[in-house]
Amino acid sequence: MDDANNMRQLPQQTTKKKRDRIGLVLYIFYVLLLVISVLVIFKLVYFQLVWDPEPKIANALTPSIAKRTIEPVRGNIIDSEGRLLAMSYPVYDIHMDCTVRKAEFAKMKNKEKGKMKEDEWQGKARQLANGLSELVPSIDAERMYKQIKDGRASGRKYLSIAKGVDRNTMLKIKDLPLYNEGANRGGMIVESRNIRKYPYGRLARRTIGFVRDNNGLPEEEIKGNPGLEGRYDAILHGKDGREYLKLTDRGRVRNYDSSYVRAVDGKDLRTTLNIDYQDVADRALRERIDSLEDLMGACLVLMEVKTGAIRAMVNLSRDPSRNNSFEEITNFAIGRRCEPGSVFKTVTLLSVMSDGIYKSLDETLPTNHGIVKDTKMKQDVHILDWERENKTHEISILDGFKISSNYVFGTLAVQNYAKNPRQYVEKVYSYGLGDSFDFDLEGLLTPLIPDPKSKYWSNTTLGTMGFGYATEETPLHILTFYNAIANKGKMVKPYLVECIEKAGNVTDKRGPSVLNASICSRAIADTMTRALLSVTEDGTARRLKKAKCKVAGKTGTSFATFPNGKYVDENGRRQYQGTFVGYFPAEDPQYSVICAVYSKPTRTSYQGGGIPAAAIKELVDYVYTNDSRFRTKLPKK
Amino acid sequence: MEEKRKWKVSDIWKLLRNGISAIITGNLLLRLNAGKYFVHIAYTFLLFWILIFESLVAENALSKVEKNNAKIREMEIIYADKTFEVASMSRRSEVQKRLEAMGSAVQEPDRQAISID
Repeated sequence: MDDANNMRQLPQQTTKKKRDRIGLVLYIFYVLLLVISVLVIFKLVYFQLVWDPEPKIANALTPSIAKRTIEPVRGNIIDSEGRLLAMSYPVYDIHMDCTVRKAEFAKMKNKEKGKMKEDEWQGKARQLANGLSELVPSIDAERMYKQIKDGRASGRKYLSIAKGVDRNTMLKIKDLPLYNEGANRGGMIVESRNIRKYPYGRLARRTIGFVRDNNGLPEEEIKGNPGLEGRYDAILHGKDGREYLKLTDRGRVRNYDSSYVRAVDGKDLRTTLNIDYQDVADRALRERIDSLEDLMGACLVLMEVKTGAIRAMVNLSRDPSRNNSFEEITNFAIGRRCEPGSVFKTVTLLSVMSDGIYKSLDETLPTNHGIVKDTKMKQDVHILDWERENKTHEISILDGFKISSNYVFGTLAVQNYAKNPRQYVEKVYSYGLGDSFDFDLEGLLTPLIPDPKSKYWSNTTLGTMGFGYATEETPLHILTFYNAIANKGKMVKPYLVECIEKAGNVTDKRGPSVLNASICSRAIADTMTRALLSVTEDGTARRLKKAKCKVAGKTGTSFATFPNGKYVDENGRRQYQGTFVGYFPAEDPQYSVICAVYSKPTRTSYQGGGIPAAAIKELVDYVYTNDSRFRTKLPKK
Repeated sequence: MEEKRKWKVSDIWKLLRNGISAIITGNLLLRLNAGKYFVHIAYTFLLFWILIFESLVAENALSKVEKNNAKIREMEIIYADKTFEVASMSRRSEVQKRLEAMGSAVQEPDRQAISID
């Protein structure tokens, strides 16, 4: 019993034990913390369940989380040697918080001092407006100062000052009075954004395409935008990212409790273009057509024979919004389809040679005073000149080709294919001149080839087809055909995109592809080259005889049809299409090239042997001099 | 047979009174006889403290990330600016114009280069 009583008394004895000094201090500290924590708990319960703050205070106390879309960087477009043709470029939009320090000055106890400070601020604002007008030509100093002053009076916190200024200008603006005091005292708000820039300006604009920024093109705009920017928009754009930001004492930081989607930058597009060749081709063509009011457009395409890689593609047309100067607006090379004229004679010649009808270019035809037998075709009066000058009634195929005789090629077509015109038409299709193909730009038109069974096929159709009428072709189709002859019969597909790259690594290889492994034998291709060479040496394109290397090619001049169904209008004017197409060096072709000029209705003649041949000569000379494959090799001793 | 209840309602009040008095006197853990779990309790507090500390460190790091991102962006801008400037100046016809303006006699070559095999 005693033991039990002792045990019950033990805690009482412990509590009664005299506390030591340290224990007392700790106890007081403990009680203090206890009281504070109880208060904190009560306050928390009060805030959570009872307190109903004003919305302004609630907003200020609630940590704001903002969603931000992370814009991917649009991929670059580069030329075959890695030079930038299109790139993302940062620009700045400058805004102003006009209310900055306004309340501070108004609340000053010393009213006079407040007014003085306000006047001082206004003075700096005037200096700022003056400075801005010097740096940004579109800004008027007086108007800008008035906007700032009015904005300050009405409490505007986001007044647009300047848009799309470059970095150097932005830095200079930052040094102007008021803005040099920083964002809190000067009210300067700077926002950067990426826009699309083209280092070579409007060069190859129709081929490269054009976008303002990376905000995505609407589908209808992509369809209407024939450039690479539109066609490859999905690859160039990349994928948008998303993040949530929270406001902390150290500013806005990413909220790691929320989801985060990283932006995937767009991929780069390596094109086949060589910007030097493009520049020279553009200049060569522009210099020759700029002053000719009768011309409405022109195009020039340079292609590599072995691969079909397009090294230059110039498309110039009159721009009424720019004083009718020539600009890259319409892609004639792929989007203008018209009767090719004499450049089509090569098709007829290749057909009769491939079918074994003629073995040699020196075989002759009777001149027949320029009248194609068994047809209602018009007489070729040039043959009468030939008969008179050469005192003969025979003409060789080569001479007919040299002088580009409609009679000779009309006769070749009619004489050999009149019984079976389908055979000739099928030849045209086998040369890739009847179909479209998948090209790197939107808008490649399909050629028009008449069907012998259709009601539109007449007595003259076959004969006129023989020298380049009754069909419609784009310049690119004609070039592809000539390129195949240069490539010894192998027809390759023209292309513009070499590969798609990511940070310099190839992710998707494009490149050469074959349309027709052999449109003719090597021997016939060589014969064709001989014929084409005679045109530049002794025929309608003699202008190219003085080129730095031998050029094989053919001129062509055709007329567009007027609404009256004729090739000449009521005033006796014609609408010309002058073309030269060929390849060089003739002995070992490396490049094929086509140039076409399009006139308005005019009485001046624009022949293929004129401007097109001259522009091509300049380009050939440049390429032959500068291209590494044409270097003279000095053998080792 | 209904089992007889072993506790009274007044025991709840007694328990609360004892608990509060134990909290005030600082004896709660001892009263609960939880002294043997002291290490665990201290460890839990340590974990909470580390959690709060880590959160602050992360926030600090993130603010540095944002600052560095801004610096990187600035450098990218300078790089893009310079790249554009250089690319614009590399146009063949521009180079030729500049050379002419500077009075240089350098021109495009008029014949091919000779390379040694």
